[in-house]
Amino acid sequence: MSRPPLSCHTSHMQQTLFAIAGGLTQPANAGPYANYALGQAYDEMFTPEGVVRPYYEELHQRVGELPTDELRRRQQACEQSFLHQGITFTVYGENQSTERIIPTDLLPRIITAAEWARMEAGLKQRIQALNLFLLDIYAEGRVLKDGLVPRALIYGSKHYRREMRGLPVPHGAYVNVCGTDLIRREDGTFVVLEDNLRVPSGVSYMLANRDVVRRAFPALFRTAGVRPIEHYPQDLLATLKSLAPFQDDVSIAVLSPGVFNSAYFEHAFLARQMGVELVEGRDLVVNDNAVYARTTSGLKKVDVIYRRIDDDFIDPLAFRSDSTLGVPGIFNAYRAGNVVIANAPGTGVADDKAVYAYVPRLIRYYLSEEPILDSVETFLCREPKSLSHVLANLDKLVVKAVGESGGYGMLIGPHASKSERDAFAQKLKVEPENYIAQPTIQLSTAPCFVDGVIEPRHVDLRPFVLTGERTTIAPGALTRVALKRGSLVVNSSQGGGSKDTWVLSA
Amino acid sequence: MLSRVADNLYWMSRYLERAEHTSRLIAVKLESMIEQSPGEAEISWHRVVTALNGGKFVPSTAADAFEITRALAFEPFNSCSLIACLRLARDNARQVREQISTEMWNRLNRLYLKLTPVDLANVWNDQPGYIFRETVEELHMLEGTTYSTMRHGEGWHFIQLGRYIERAQLVSRLLDLHFGPASRADAQPNYLDWLVLLRFCTAFEAYCKVYTATIRSDRIAEFLLFDAEFPHSVRFAIERLTEALTRVAIGAPAARRAACERLAGRLKASMDFGQIDELMGGTIDIFLANISAQCEQIHEAVYAAYIGYDAETVL
Repeated sequence: MSRPPLSCHTSHMQQTLFAIAGGLTQPANAGPYANYALGQAYDEMFTPEGVVRPYYEELHQRVGELPTDELRRRQQACEQSFLHQGITFTVYGENQSTERIIPTDLLPRIITAAEWARMEAGLKQRIQALNLFLLDIYAEGRVLKDGLVPRALIYGSKHYRREMRGLPVPHGAYVNVCGTDLIRREDGTFVVLEDNLRVPSGVSYMLANRDVVRRAFPALFRTAGVRPIEHYPQDLLATLKSLAPFQDDVSIAVLSPGVFNSAYFEHAFLARQMGVELVEGRDLVVNDNAVYARTTSGLKKVDVIYRRIDDDFIDPLAFRSDSTLGVPGIFNAYRAGNVVIANAPGTGVADDKAVYAYVPRLIRYYLSEEPILDSVETFLCREPKSLSHVLANLDKLVVKAVGESGGYGMLIGPHASKSERDAFAQKLKVEPENYIAQPTIQLSTAPCFVDGVIEPRHVDLRPFVLTGERTTIAPGALTRVALKRGSLVVNSSQGGGSKDTWVLSA
Repeated sequence: MLSRVADNLYWMSRYLERAEHTSRLIAVKLESMIEQSPGEAEISWHRVVTALNGGKFVPSTAADAFEITRALAFEPFNSCSLIACLRLARDNARQVREQISTEMWNRLNRLYLKLTPVDLANVWNDQPGYIFRETVEELHMLEGTTYSTMRHGEGWHFIQLGRYIERAQLVSRLLDLHFGPASRADAQPNYLDWLVLLRFCTAFEAYCKVYTATIRSDRIAEFLLFDAEFPHSVRFAIERLTEALTRVAIGAPAARRAACERLAGRLKASMDFGQIDELMGGTIDIFLANISAQCEQIHEAVYAAYIGYDAETVL
């Protein structure tokens, strides 16, 4: 899961966490919740007054009844299950490598039917606008001519693929699999933090978490009215199939970089669940602008490729020539219309940090609708008014370089010294178009079972949006958890874990 | 089926067969040690080490059973050790995770995760053979799981092919150590050695049912080489691999298939018409070496026809 750590959106969380457990009088908050300290952030289970939200009552009660040892036993059963299934990532050391699981938390995160309905509508609206935007910038560029988005921002982006210009994609769907990251603000509303439009991962964790947590709380799961997500692989298959120019005997494959990739489990999992072939670059050959897989009986044509390799590596002839993961000539086969690649190459231009700021305007522009989901307020320093606001409020804002990820070229205002801020202000004035700024954000907290007690931890939410002939969203998501107390980093490589996410049917 | 997938399934299976063979040899050896004098033990350890290709990883002072066992079972740098075979089998399985059943993967993965942290010193003083017995049992269960949860399609037949090519070679080598030049020199097998050989091949009970409990070396040779119904006989293995070959790569061009099937058919014929009396006169080592060499040729032919072929040649 490559994405900048959420700590970019830093907060005063570390300083402002304060224990109000002593003030809580509800008997419900005894037992494992005794030390549950509510902070400034929205808490998924408790209201600010410490009252359990109604849709969490059963879970709260059930968990409160169970002895700590029993909770621990169930937690271990979940982890064992992950380990045995091989849902692990490898940490390479000097002499030996060890395999670790991504910790899964026992307690599900609950989303109400109303919250989901709004989110689903908002996500569909958003992906529709983003696909129209991609179609536009790879065709006539109306949005650029109208001056809504600066040309330089698009044509200057390293993720803009000139090779895609004028190339039709099936159903105008450039982004077939999208993983949108949302967070919940202090007022309880969800906002979009980031669109992952390239090769988002994590859906196997959504399904694996469900599998283990349902077994940990079978009775609770039955009565809660949780909407099923198990059909995701079928939906994905239908989406991929709808991209083929014909519908009989469509040959579909998942293209993986191979067993050393940290998301390899997911690639194999999806291929198995869909009943399609999992291939690596070395399994494919291109002849006469068609793509074939090397099989024991000879070469077999491939029609649709769900690739889990970045644009840069997919074809050494078209993009990075040093790539050994890709398939030489596959892009020409794609141009010739003999194979479909999902997601389409060149989608990365639309999940850029600066483009993110334009998405609300894009929704209005293409759909003549108001955005259903908010985005995080973003100041584009290329706009003079915004720049002066940013310069005046550097101590309150997070400033990020456009086109960078992983926290490079970033200033976290509240944590920076005066001299650091002054130095950054100079950079801003020289190249304002390279920067955006956002306010610091609180991620909501959810109860997690950590070291034998239940404590709040920061979480985000990543639902998966599938778009082919139509758009479908499985009613569920990956909830990522920053397992270190007070931490806002949910990345798996940095102590992040995940949770099952229950979307209620009513 | 993807050539790479066939390759992974085939090697997964070969490594599992090797792991099972290694575990069983060690288990039988450790169990039989109490009945042997130190001198006898040393000679029979030498056979085990040679049979398992332990080579340079085994200390030359062959008397230290602990060190030999550790090197054969848990030495990660010995690519023939039990743990290395399991690791390689698992690495191959991991690459075809979507082709094998979840039950198979879980069983294999659990076995690997169970054995990786084992410290032989901790189990040595109690019943050192136990953990290897248990491993053999778990590998049998994996075989059963494979049989009953995986489609018996092309992938399954590649698994059979790998298992039986490996088995034919392993048993041939074991027989060579007991009947070949090594056995005619200073280390003539005694009664206990013959019993141990049968147990190495999990064959004692099956042998008794055919020949009664009268232990005779020529009958043991005949049984382990030519019995048509015993799963660890060389002939059985070769029949199965021949059959597996007819079931893989069905769509491949006839000429490619013929190259593989011809070699297997020739080998099978030599097993079908072999006579133990002729071999016991002193030609058995040549016969066994031939079996190994032909298995190797079949392996190469399969690779040339189905796995590593040049894409240009079929377009």
